[in-house]
Amino acid sequence: MEAATDPQSAYRTWGPALVRKAERILRSREDAIDVVHALFADLLPRWTQDVDLPYLYRAVTNRCLNVVRDRGTRARLLEREHTSAAPVGRVRLEDQVVGIGLIAALADRLDGGHLDVLVARFVDDMTQDEIAEHLGLSRKTIGKRLDRIRDEVIALRGEAAS
Amino acid sequence: MTRALRCIGEPVSWLRLEELAIGISRAGVAEHVEACPACKHSFASITSDVVAMPPLVVPVRAPSTRRWWLIPAYAACAAAIVLFVVSRGRPGSSDAIKGGDISVGVIRERDGAIRDDAFTFAATDRFKVVVTCPPRFDTWVDVAVVEAGATKADFPVEAARIACGNRVVIPGAFVLTTPRPHRVCVRVGSGSAPPRTLPRDDDDDVRCVTLSPER
Repeated sequence: MEAATDPQSAYRTWGPALVRKAERILRSREDAIDVVHALFADLLPRWTQDVDLPYLYRAVTNRCLNVVRDRGTRARLLEREHTSAAPVGRVRLEDQVVGIGLIAALADRLDGGHLDVLVARFVDDMTQDEIAEHLGLSRKTIGKRLDRIRDEVIALRGEAAS
Repeated sequence: MTRALRCIGEPVSWLRLEELAIGISRAGVAEHVEACPACKHSFASITSDVVAMPPLVVPVRAPSTRRWWLIPAYAACAAAIVLFVVSRGRPGSSDAIKGGDISVGVIRERDGAIRDDAFTFAATDRFKVVVTCPPRFDTWVDVAVVEAGATKADFPVEAARIACGNRVVIPGAFVLTTPRPHRVCVRVGSGSAPPRTLPRDDDDDVRCVTLSPER
């Protein structure tokens, strides 16, 4: 992966990719732009040559999950999700495309490590090997976390049905 | 509602597609995209997308109080500033920013569509305020929203200190809930957050734009 020489060029080059990623989670372009802009504004004073697109991808995931955890923002985004453009679902979780509603529900039941895997697999469409490399974890750990995520989704469905 | 497109094998991740879009190609990715309708569709959604990124502005930060070893440097800077101010002579010729130094605009977001040239609103629109001011300044700004006929202003976002530049986005956003014209004003303050009083068009430190409801 090519290193960014400075934050301004990284912002111009990778900013749109990061906005699209944040938008896939939040289903709101303006909120996505806010997340990416705030990330770069925070990184400006401590920018290093180690910052690359995968690093920024992980940082955007964390920031979007923080947005989803905020109950006030979550309510607004959930309301908007119904009217936002339909995503293309290439990778599905228990036969459903992961949207902000499911992420929000799982955010109340899973820790950050599991949510990172959830987003990497079902929002970013990464393979298990790619997730392992991306998050610096073993493939076995990724598999276990995916199993736990599926269990929680099944439990959620059971609770909703009862 | 979601659309489903079936990949011919293992879908290429969005990260790999983004890399491909900026010319970083990994083994097999381009070939898969070419052969797979689902991944080709996803790749096309990247290459056809335009994202209007706001300018990245250097944030203004207070100096750390733990940098005790910088005290001599600060003292030297303070002395230089005192000398500079004294040498400028005429009292009252402050270099503080004034309302006339800035222009105010808004960014409207409606169901994901962002426009910076719209001055009308509907019930669910969100607005952010942008200001343009001379780059040599940093200044406090506070946004006030005044409904037509109102005698009090709302202050929907926190006052912020910004580094001036072209179309600097003030943090925070707001919606207008009543279908009446609203004045959106920015009051500037040089040393601290400006007072939260009703803005008037003839105030020296205020600039406004009007947003009208759509019928």
